[in-house]
Amino acid sequence: MAHIWPIGGGKGGSGKSFLASSMGRLLAKSGKKTLLIDLDLGAANLHTMVDVPYPEKCFSDFISKKISALEDTVLPTPFPNLFLISGAHDSLDIANLPYEKKIKTLKAIARLPYEYIILDLGAGTAFNTLDFFLASRHGIFITTPEPTSIENVYRLMRAIYLRRIRHYFSAADFKTLEKKVREHLGDDSLNKPENIVSIIKKEFPEKYALIRKDFNSFRFKLILNQLRKQDNTVLGEQICKIIKKHLGIHVEFAGNIAYDEHVHDAICQRVCFLDRYPHTRAANDLRVVNKKMGSAFGEQLMLNYL
Amino acid sequence: MEKDFDQMNYYEMLDIGTKATAAEIRSAYNVALQMYQSDSLVSYSFFSKEERDRILSLIDKAYFTLINEAQRARYDEEMNLCETSGSADQSKAGSQPVNIFEFNRQDMAFLARKNNKSELKTKISQSQSIREILSRQKITGADLKAIREELGVAVETIHQETKIRLDYLNDIEEDKTGKLPAPVFLKGFIKAYLKSICIERADEISALYMSGLPDKN
Repeated sequence: MAHIWPIGGGKGGSGKSFLASSMGRLLAKSGKKTLLIDLDLGAANLHTMVDVPYPEKCFSDFISKKISALEDTVLPTPFPNLFLISGAHDSLDIANLPYEKKIKTLKAIARLPYEYIILDLGAGTAFNTLDFFLASRHGIFITTPEPTSIENVYRLMRAIYLRRIRHYFSAADFKTLEKKVREHLGDDSLNKPENIVSIIKKEFPEKYALIRKDFNSFRFKLILNQLRKQDNTVLGEQICKIIKKHLGIHVEFAGNIAYDEHVHDAICQRVCFLDRYPHTRAANDLRVVNKKMGSAFGEQLMLNYL
Repeated sequence: MEKDFDQMNYYEMLDIGTKATAAEIRSAYNVALQMYQSDSLVSYSFFSKEERDRILSLIDKAYFTLINEAQRARYDEEMNLCETSGSADQSKAGSQPVNIFEFNRQDMAFLARKNNKSELKTKISQSQSIREILSRQKITGADLKAIREELGVAVETIHQETKIRLDYLNDIEEDKTGKLPAPVFLKGFIKAYLKSICIERADEISALYMSGLPDKN
């Protein structure tokens, strides 16, 4: 079964597509059959990053049933072993993917015959993004060392946490839970899944045990992108520490990627950054991160939608 | 969440072990401030203002309790965290970091030691056996140990005060001549040892000790 790496970051411009294309490129180069899927629905541009300027098929064709099998929407890229499902010509209302289509997509993704599948997700915390992120237990968060970006990545984490908790409750049960949380902690506490979990622990201990077990099996990763010289290099580790301590989610810090003007140049020239500027610091950091992730992910990957 | 922050003990709050040294506590406190202070990037938007204030006040409380040895001992006792065996401590003592900073500034510890010094001096002048040892023509490590034990000073106290490694102190006292540091250091160590237990004429006695050592070459 494929290893699925969803890449999400909350904020736009934090480097999700860049990371997706670079990781895909590195994996393909090491001989792994790799597929990139552009799930930044409504704002797709992964095709530009991997030099497929005129994709003739796209993800939307699968949704609109023009192409019946998701596999048939796969495009080759100029790089050997690297394939793409583009979102370039997605219909304009693709962002509002209905629930059953989303489930259908997730099931189709799980069956694709590739070694690695990288999902490039959109900014924000729409249900689509959250569900695609939760398609695998190996989601990757990416953020830059700026308050705005960090704010959004925390929001994304909390949203994902809450989304996952909701899986364990029926609509009616969740309503009563919400009511209890309000009674105990006040109105604005619903924004914090950690508060909800503390109530679950009290009121539904058997569900709490299930949720704990579930979250312990997740292997989230965090990557800090666009780190400038003056930035705090231990920031990523401290973020992971805070999340562990206060949110109870285990996120492993996968590494820093240096800020590099060359990334901008490479994107403007529409060439692969790693090929154009292989000896820059950022390129080196990418290789280090990729190596670390490749070894850390190792074996099995559990999918909830199979 | 394993535990609410308010329910953690002070060691968990600062992410340190129950045997952390003062220097470790201090650096853990600095890290915690870096993470939780209101201008920190790490926890930006993560907490509401009230939550942050509460966490910061807890961290302050944790730090000021643990950094004060007396309060820490009391806290440990309350929480039942106190170390079970002193012997395990001793065996590891050689590798333990030395207490280099004196944190309890307003504490009475400083005064207490001063009193201790004058007490030592009177003891030395009164003790027959110490005078006898000091009048000898040859001083060995065993003699130093005898003096120290007569005065009732623990070897750890000397270690803390002189910053000389415990294993060196033990080797000196047991006259393990093969294991001792180079003479140039050893002479200074002996002097520091003697001064820390308030023996006068430290220069003279350390010279006596050195001359009594078997020649290595």
